[in-house]
Amino acid sequence: MDPVFSALSLYKKRKFEECVTTCTELLDKNPFDQAVWVLKMRALTEQLYVDDLEAEEEGIAEAFMDNETIAESARPGTSLKNPGTSQGGSTQGYRPWTQTGRPVSGVVRPGTQTARPGTMEQALRTPRTSKTARPSTSQSARTIRLGTASMLSEPGGPFIQLSRINLGNYASKPALAKPLFLYILYHENSIRHALQLAVLATQACEFKDWWWKVQLGKCYFALGLMREAEQQFRSALRQHQCIETFLRLGRVYIRLDQPLSALDVCRTGLEYFPKETTLLTEIARIFEGLNNMTMSVKYYREIVTEDSTNVEAIACIGMHHFYTDQPEMALRFYRRLLQMGLYNAELFNNLGLCCFYAQQYDMTLSCFQHALSLAKDDDVADIWYNIGLIAIGVGDTRLAGQCLRLAISADSTHAPAYNNLGVLELRRGRVNEASAFFQAAASLAPYLFEPYFNHSSLSHKMGDLQASYIVIQKALEAYPNHVPSQELLRALEKHFTFI
Amino acid sequence: MGSTRNLEHDHLWLNAHTDTRAAVYTFSSCITLSDLNADGDFKLIVADLGTGSTNVKLKVYRGTSLHSETALLDVPTGVTSFYMDLSEPRIPAVAVASGSNIYIYKNMRPYFKFSLPALDVNPLERDLWMQIRDEHLEINVLVELLNNLRIEIGHSQLSTRSQHILSLDASEAASFVQQHSKFPLKRQTIVTCITTLKKALTEEKAVSCLVVGTECGEVLVLDPEAFTILEKIKLCAQDNTIVVVPAILAACGLHAVEFRIVAACRDGSLRLARRGWTEAKLLVQLPAQPVAMTVSAENAAITIALMNQTLQCFSKKGKLQWIVTLPAAACSICQIPLPHQSATIIAVSLTGGLLQLYNGRQMVDVIKAPQTVSGVVFGRFGQEENALIMFTVDGSLMVKILKRTAHFNLQGSASNTVSVAPGTAQQVKLQIPKKTRLFLDQTMRERDNCIMMHRTFQRDLFQLRVDVARACVRALQSCNNPVSLEGAEPVKLSAQVLGLGPLFKMVISLQNISASSLVQGLGILFHFDDKMYSMEKPYLHVPMLIPGQEYPFETMIRNISELALSDQVRVLVVRDGQSQPVLAAIINMPVCDLLV
Repeated sequence: MDPVFSALSLYKKRKFEECVTTCTELLDKNPFDQAVWVLKMRALTEQLYVDDLEAEEEGIAEAFMDNETIAESARPGTSLKNPGTSQGGSTQGYRPWTQTGRPVSGVVRPGTQTARPGTMEQALRTPRTSKTARPSTSQSARTIRLGTASMLSEPGGPFIQLSRINLGNYASKPALAKPLFLYILYHENSIRHALQLAVLATQACEFKDWWWKVQLGKCYFALGLMREAEQQFRSALRQHQCIETFLRLGRVYIRLDQPLSALDVCRTGLEYFPKETTLLTEIARIFEGLNNMTMSVKYYREIVTEDSTNVEAIACIGMHHFYTDQPEMALRFYRRLLQMGLYNAELFNNLGLCCFYAQQYDMTLSCFQHALSLAKDDDVADIWYNIGLIAIGVGDTRLAGQCLRLAISADSTHAPAYNNLGVLELRRGRVNEASAFFQAAASLAPYLFEPYFNHSSLSHKMGDLQASYIVIQKALEAYPNHVPSQELLRALEKHFTFI
Repeated sequence: MGSTRNLEHDHLWLNAHTDTRAAVYTFSSCITLSDLNADGDFKLIVADLGTGSTNVKLKVYRGTSLHSETALLDVPTGVTSFYMDLSEPRIPAVAVASGSNIYIYKNMRPYFKFSLPALDVNPLERDLWMQIRDEHLEINVLVELLNNLRIEIGHSQLSTRSQHILSLDASEAASFVQQHSKFPLKRQTIVTCITTLKKALTEEKAVSCLVVGTECGEVLVLDPEAFTILEKIKLCAQDNTIVVVPAILAACGLHAVEFRIVAACRDGSLRLARRGWTEAKLLVQLPAQPVAMTVSAENAAITIALMNQTLQCFSKKGKLQWIVTLPAAACSICQIPLPHQSATIIAVSLTGGLLQLYNGRQMVDVIKAPQTVSGVVFGRFGQEENALIMFTVDGSLMVKILKRTAHFNLQGSASNTVSVAPGTAQQVKLQIPKKTRLFLDQTMRERDNCIMMHRTFQRDLFQLRVDVARACVRALQSCNNPVSLEGAEPVKLSAQVLGLGPLFKMVISLQNISASSLVQGLGILFHFDDKMYSMEKPYLHVPMLIPGQEYPFETMIRNISELALSDQVRVLVVRDGQSQPVLAAIINMPVCDLLV
């Protein structure tokens, strides 16, 4: 068989390694065979290609060192920075918040961990483990790790020496320039060179090729030049409507913290591509970010009617039902996920909780036992914590205490476990221990209002009104509409002003 | 306030001067404006409380710059300026009340010091101190007799020396007696507040008397030239043992004709004194402690801000006129007289940095300051007649000028409190999701199979208990507990990792969670892969842990691995001479971000 044809066939079968070796052999014989050269480039790129739209995550540096921020205190419901402000959203009272201080999401995505904290210190203080830490910039080691090729030296030097290559030569040849661009961007991860090539190429085709404009926008986006990226994407959309471009333009607006503009872009996209699930997902995510769960779930439902195996949509709808007091509905959605072949600790944990609250007691504990046996290091703490909740529900405080201690020993920064342990100690009348646990929970998770409220009401009962007053204000800062906290504050104020 | 009107009128005020680094910490009572050199250029005189003990200074601002500063010996309680005499040029004096003295400055040079008259010392107390001086008395007997005397006449009737010795331990009392018994015994009172009262004429530069409130519950009116006591008014009845201490004073009228002195007292009462009275009359008992007060010059109406976040107005007879609920706690008040609009506006500074302007009970303007304004005065500053001077809690100075064209919207709705119609709260429906069909089906299943379900659940629960117990034992054996279990050391461990890497800061905090027992002899040991990390201090010594206190320990840890990988670090709390660690925690180190 013709070796070029076999390489092509290998590429189509997605056997990239073998394809690359075949191409290398061919190139050794004839270094100027452009077809093989392009094929090798494509194979190398495909090997390392990541869906950068899904993996995108805003780094600490971008969040703080951007100069695009306009309003410090945005109007309610127009900013992703303070999700608590939107009207009619869920509150912490019945939907807990994640470690980074956002409402819990149905699925873990890079974006769900990236709350936008108010201060740099807060950003650095959020419990940083290998699982939850956010990168310092989006162009950091993490991206490189996703595409490690540029860090490992290849035998006989790199395939293409970027510093030696004459980009101008290739820019005018679209058949060569496009694969080369993708290779530089994804394989070499050199945005500077990629941008250079894209600029030259778009000039060469007299600004008529929308593809180059999208690529330019991608480069600008990666470099943090949001307004330039916006311009490129908009201009590309005028020439040709493409789902990816809509999504990318939406991301630009999200980065600029203009979720409403992002929603507009996605809706325009839906006019061209009705019921397109990626666009619907994007809209649902933005609504979730704005803490508008009803709208978010509405779009997720639309996704499920189009694509009944969309894990994210099913999980999010399930989560919504669970926290709106319909665990039996949530149970159905999670069971659907199980039927689809998902088999992990988180799912069993959720199933167990749903069974318990939907009063299907016979399945509850076996679900948790499955979850425990499947759990990895990072989620075992949450499972112990949930078993602790079941134990409290059953009334076995001794078991609950043990479970919560296990949760803490698995993850020494598990603030809700500390809080619940404090409540259990308080019930046993051990005030000092309880107070210490509340303090620990509060220092680990300043976004939770429960430890503050518990600590404050404990101090109030103990007669330490000053401490109680200081702490209750923090509780109200975390959750301004918490009525018992407000009542406690009012009672304390009465104490202080009373003559 | 139900009003949604935007009350911020930027066009009313000009920003004349802002100095965020003025570092002047003061209150309204310690700020005054005065034509110090009789040249028509009004200066701002402010007593800077500094840190509360050091850096106490009297500062004079001329325009936007600091003109002069004089060190003060003690923390001032009030600063006021007044005309002492009729000599030309008309240079006003500045009175600074501090401790039991009033220091008078003229041309910003010390001029006179007035000390409050000494109070009578209880004869028995004097006797006791005489005896101890001549060493006829044991110290413990003295303390006991003084204690008896205190119960008899009250703590505040004793001299400060007796008060002090009663608060000392027996061991310290001896040296205290030795040090102080040689000096004659005096009982001094201190100035709590100060204000001025025009003597005979109402004009602007007329001679004024000083009105001083003291800690012993008296209000004194002093002659401006001779500094003799013209009036001495007790704030409460003579036979009353409880001393009513004035906290804020305000005076209006003329001393020679008719005057009213209103004192807001620490027991939450408003008391009124008039010409010829030797005892003040209780005007009204307030519902909360007073924060700041002004008395209108025209109708002697009293506007007072209270600690319960209200602004209240009383007529001169003590009748409550209106109450306004403030959005935050009030800090200080100042009057803004607007003769051209024939109105007097009251500015109330609130915690959080808001300054609300009220005309009667109607809010007419809002000024936003970056920080809580602790001291605010309005008056003539420099050449400008209507200047508002604000000092914030973080020590910055702001001067705003009221525009000549400024016109407050004084005619508003008579009542600006929008009452919510009763019952609207009840009409809001709670969003409770309906019980689904599925729920009913499941309930049916539960009802049909209740025995089976219960048995399964109980069996699983027992199984779970065994599993949990096993896991607990495993955690105990591997010493993997950041919180001690019963019976062990009552210590709690928490750890935090800060930084982006490769250099991280690790903060370990230990807390003794027992009620009263001390914990000592502990150390913190770190267990980590030395190919991955290097640590500044792999062992930390822990001092004695006092119950309840949280002890933070810090150390630096550096990721030295070539690959951007992360690992776990174990923190072990160990006891000297014990092989088994007391507590332990695993820290999942963050991945370090190698910037490209």
